[in-house]
Amino acid sequence: MSLIPGLGIVRGMALTLRRFFQPKVTHLYPEVPAEISPKFRGRLQLLYDEHGTLKCETCFQCAQACPIECIDMGGVDTKGRFAVHWGASETYGERREESALRRAGRTVPDVAYEHWSPIDLSAVDAILHEADHDPRRLLEILGATQAAYGYLPVAALKRISFGTGAWYAMVYGTATYYHHLRFEPPARLAGADEPVAPTVESGRERVEADYLAALDQAIGPGSKRPAGRVN
Amino acid sequence: MTVVGRTWERLTIPGKILAVVIPLGAVLTAGLAILIAVIGGAVVQFLVDNLPLVRFVVAATIVLLMTVPSAFLIIYMEMKVIALMNLRYGPDRVGPFGSALSVVHGLKVLMKEDFTPTGADVPVFTLAPVVVYMSSVMSLLVLPFAPGLFGQDFNIGLLYFFAMGGLTVVGLLMAGWSSFNKYSLLGGLRSAAQVISYEIPLTLSVVGVILLAGTMSLNQIVLGQAGNLFDWYIWRQPLAFVVFFIAVTAEANRTPFDLTEADSEIVAGFATEYSGMRFGFFFFAEYVNVFIASGLTVAVFLGGWNAPFNWPWPVAVGLDPGSLGIGLLLLLTLGPPLAIVVLGLPFYLLNSRIRFWQALIIGFGLFNVIAVAAVLGLAFLSFDWVVGLLWFMGKTYVFVFTFVWMRGTLPRVRIDQLMGFAWKWLLPAALLNLFVTAFAILVLNR
Amino acid sequence: MTTRTPFDIPAHASTDDPRVTLDEQLGVFEPIPPYPPRTEREAEFYTLRDGEMFLNMGPQHPSTHGVLRVVLKIDGEKVVDLDPVLGYLHRGVEKLCENADYHQAICYTDPLEYISSLFCEWSPVMAFEKLLDVQVPRRAEYIRVLSGELNRIASHALFIGWFALDLGGLTPILWSFIERDEIVEMLAALTGQRMLFNYFRIGGVNGDLNHEFMSRLGTWMSKATHQINSNQALLNENEIFVRRARGLGVIDTATALQMCMTGPNLRATGVPFDIRRAHPYSIYPELDFDIPSRTEGDCLARYLLRMDEVKQSLRIIDQCLHRMPDGPVMAKLPRLIRPRPGRAYAAIEGPRGQYATYAISDGTDQPYRMRIHDPSFIHLQSVGLLTPGNLIADTMAIMASLDPIMGGVDK
Repeated sequence: MSLIPGLGIVRGMALTLRRFFQPKVTHLYPEVPAEISPKFRGRLQLLYDEHGTLKCETCFQCAQACPIECIDMGGVDTKGRFAVHWGASETYGERREESALRRAGRTVPDVAYEHWSPIDLSAVDAILHEADHDPRRLLEILGATQAAYGYLPVAALKRISFGTGAWYAMVYGTATYYHHLRFEPPARLAGADEPVAPTVESGRERVEADYLAALDQAIGPGSKRPAGRVN
Repeated sequence: MTVVGRTWERLTIPGKILAVVIPLGAVLTAGLAILIAVIGGAVVQFLVDNLPLVRFVVAATIVLLMTVPSAFLIIYMEMKVIALMNLRYGPDRVGPFGSALSVVHGLKVLMKEDFTPTGADVPVFTLAPVVVYMSSVMSLLVLPFAPGLFGQDFNIGLLYFFAMGGLTVVGLLMAGWSSFNKYSLLGGLRSAAQVISYEIPLTLSVVGVILLAGTMSLNQIVLGQAGNLFDWYIWRQPLAFVVFFIAVTAEANRTPFDLTEADSEIVAGFATEYSGMRFGFFFFAEYVNVFIASGLTVAVFLGGWNAPFNWPWPVAVGLDPGSLGIGLLLLLTLGPPLAIVVLGLPFYLLNSRIRFWQALIIGFGLFNVIAVAAVLGLAFLSFDWVVGLLWFMGKTYVFVFTFVWMRGTLPRVRIDQLMGFAWKWLLPAALLNLFVTAFAILVLNR
Repeated sequence: MTTRTPFDIPAHASTDDPRVTLDEQLGVFEPIPPYPPRTEREAEFYTLRDGEMFLNMGPQHPSTHGVLRVVLKIDGEKVVDLDPVLGYLHRGVEKLCENADYHQAICYTDPLEYISSLFCEWSPVMAFEKLLDVQVPRRAEYIRVLSGELNRIASHALFIGWFALDLGGLTPILWSFIERDEIVEMLAALTGQRMLFNYFRIGGVNGDLNHEFMSRLGTWMSKATHQINSNQALLNENEIFVRRARGLGVIDTATALQMCMTGPNLRATGVPFDIRRAHPYSIYPELDFDIPSRTEGDCLARYLLRMDEVKQSLRIIDQCLHRMPDGPVMAKLPRLIRPRPGRAYAAIEGPRGQYATYAISDGTDQPYRMRIHDPSFIHLQSVGLLTPGNLIADTMAIMASLDPIMGGVDK
């Protein structure tokens, strides 16, 4: 501070008045587009080659490398047959690895769950062949897979998705919807010889029973419906 | 279907509207004419008898209408000047150099949702902006803009002014209390403390001027400063001017004393919970206050509407339109087209790209500019109040610019520093000024 | 409707009280937590004496520098006590890093202190390099120091603007944004991004210096000193500014050391501790620069010290440009990094103090544990020490002078 009171204020005011007449620095954006350096990495667009075709060949390398999994892409394989998909796990319900599961807030059984554990998938292939690779028979396929393995391994789900062309999210969603399908080996009950594996039929009946109970509560028992089935 | 009905069907929509409006207008005009004929004389007589009342009503209306455009102008100034000081361009999209942006702001404020928060004291909450705005407008009523151009010439003008200024704080307190928000409460109480503290040095600093002028009427004070630059009171009361300027800055809640709405401390102070046009009233009142503060400083210390020097060559306009006779008619009919052609011709001849009609348009524009300038110049020379208004507005906006300039430069003071400054420095300085002035008057008059 | 005033509601609003609306039960108006006090301190804080009231400042407040919430207990304008509530910006960066591989982890550390991103990625990169035992090429080290010091100037420029803005000055922040914008644009030309650069890689940097960066830097360096000096003339001698900042929020050396302060906030109390000199890393031992320090320990000293540091940074940049060696900017490394099991610690001197990373490797491609030390969090703690007894307006000034960034505080 200077000895004369108010001199600093006056000098500041003089400085702002000088700036008042100086050339301005604002970029007049819509008229003058910003200069973007050639190294700029923030472009959110796919590049085209000189023939006008898309350079992206859906190799998913970018999606795999992206640490925050913000890249979501889908495409068609070389035969134009299967819809392939790689997306944000939290958004699509796809779980591609355990860290993604953790980030999605799901519990991951660290010990029992083996990341990419080698599983003999020939049983799944046989089931798929039997079901004619038909995604509309997904429930049957899933039931048979569970009957074969005792639970639904992730690799088997992936193989089913690959084989039927159904998105993994759909397969996973179907599998989580039914109570009788499970993702972990059934716990052995004390004293029991064999783990009780619920069948497709019993599971379906239980779902239907839930529906029937809800219906009864909603519209009253004895209402008109065809002999105990929910369509 | 009658003939009337068929004719009605054939009319277009504008035709239908006109067919209704013209007879209605005719009937109303006739009725009005009869009404004027019957009671017009009495009304005119009443108005003539009560001329001060008429004058007051007209002045109040004009002042009320004047506040919004001047607030718009000051808001635009604030946006633009601070932007230029910040090395930005500021508003430059709406209107020439963005000058219509403040109008757009006003429209935006009108269109916003106007809600009352839960728990607010509704009547007080609703009335607060009105009180603040009305107190600003009412203090504008005694400001002398030009010779003969003021709302009312009270003989207690300055006192009335400070009373109205003090009323603002009631509105701010009402807003702060009723908003049901602690930030609003803090802002309201801060404004109460600040405005009341600064009113004392503010009032005391002008007592010297009142002693010199011998009156409290603002009009008389301005008249007392007639003459040239050195007859203004700022030369006889420099200390009072400094004290007054600082105190009036605090009264108008301007930087560096804008503690009531310190956005980095108490969000928006008393206006935190306000939205829509209620917030607009606060906003406008703030800028009207800036105008008032500047105008008062000019009126009390800087000669008001007096020019800083006497024009050494008096110009007398000895033009009497009646003396031209029939020539006036010729001038009015033939003059403008001739002038348009004459003014447009050089453009047509000099640049082959300009077509005939474009040259005519240029000529028309130029003629208009010249005609308006001529009329204004005539008015400037003929009427006192035009000159006075120009000088007053010029000086006032220099001060408005200073307020905006200070806002662009200075940081905010703290509340205890603010209070300490008022009571420890400004008040003694104002008292000292008062004693010295009184003593000098006593000695010199003896 | 009934008229209510802020004082109608009891301090400890019970949910059974008919005067209390649902909003108040949900804590919309009162900052009192809905649970019974868990500690003695909490019980003491949330008990109001006569004439006191709570002021809930944040998380949406213009000057809490992000999403910090501070519950102030005020007596009139005076702050009696305060309780900072953190966590509104918590992202779990450390855990995210542990679930990403070593290359990916760097990008998570970028937005910690988002206005000085290069320093946030510098310390994990150094820690990983220690784990891998990689020798970084000299040109890469010079580029790191060069870009880092540029980022330091940008960060300090923003500090000046914020500090002035919290004291009510409108202009300085826009002037300092001119400086910052020029630096950020030139770093964008170098790194490819304006804010979250993600430029340092394990074993070097991502891309050599390019022509655009060098031309921008040259243009800026020719006028930088003049610009920064002329900008300071607005504040450094302004009586209002100096009177508000001097003697405010004084912290003495012993307390500062007890509070684990580092960086400019510690140096303003008279301890010339700077990791660039105390525990030299990178190429700093070869460079010639001073460690400015001041003894007052108040807000003004912290402000002026940062001004001095900007000048030293300009010196360092000048030397880097003159001594820049040729060579590669990246060490030869495999794509997939699997360091041997072990642990490494790396600390650097950032614009706010010590940025440190402690990483443990278990032999996989992901760090087993990664701990990030952030100076903002440490410095924010001392707000509770400095503020009580001051006014509400000073709370802002003190908080701004400590320069915490909420991205780093909440991690």
